[in-house]
Amino acid sequence: MPEIGDARAAFEAEALPHLDSLYRVGLRLTGDPARAEDLVQDTMLRALKAWQQYQPGTNLRAWLFTILRNTFINDYRRRKREPIPVDLEAVEPFAIDRAVAEVDPEAAFFDRIVDERILAAIDALPEEFREAVVLSDVEHLTYAEIAQTLAIPVGTVKSRLFRGRRLLQKALYEHAVEMGYLKPRAEHP
Amino acid sequence: MSEKVKCREALDLLQDYLKEELTPERATLVRAHIEHCRPCLALACFEERFLAIVSESAGRQRCPDKLKARIVALIRGQSTEL
Repeated sequence: MPEIGDARAAFEAEALPHLDSLYRVGLRLTGDPARAEDLVQDTMLRALKAWQQYQPGTNLRAWLFTILRNTFINDYRRRKREPIPVDLEAVEPFAIDRAVAEVDPEAAFFDRIVDERILAAIDALPEEFREAVVLSDVEHLTYAEIAQTLAIPVGTVKSRLFRGRRLLQKALYEHAVEMGYLKPRAEHP
Repeated sequence: MSEKVKCREALDLLQDYLKEELTPERATLVRAHIEHCRPCLALACFEERFLAIVSESAGRQRCPDKLKARIVALIRGQSTEL
């Protein structure tokens, strides 16, 4: 039937370009390439089945990411919701940017960290923060798109994003000090 | 909002600025402050560097070709995997 063929062709043309993004986010959510592949395949099938519900001209990327995330939560998420680490709720960690500026004003140490370590540090983030960081800083969704995908207010997106980034910076800083890319800060405030 | 921004305001707006979520007027004000304030410039450069490395490192991965081929086959109804 020509209509179904047209719809499938339209889906292929419009949704396929987002596969790389979906796969990357799937990897960071599942932490495992095999599961990420299954998650992405499931997501695309569901999206195809729900294609009539997508309103042309609205945000396709956010629509697809919403399906990916809901599929992950329903079928692929393994761990229980992790509690927010207590130390985050308390004192703000010492300002890493200032510690770095003293010894490495160009923050060149970032360039020395291999991809795998950065990915590992992202994967070590609590899921709520990891989602926000990945959607924002890897896939470059806007605050509004992230809010739509995660079904939370923009204020919450920012809060999770900023805290996630701080945690990530801290992890990368500590790794750089361990590897000798940076001298540790002499004293803490 | 005053014509110029001070450090406090610039830093409050920095994350939105780096994410290009400020109005052009506000972005201009923040940029003007950062360009002339060394501590804020250092902080902005640090954040920019950080965001660039996260984007590049984690953004390099691509969907495996075999997965893409499987999905295309499913879309075209050429697969019995449904």
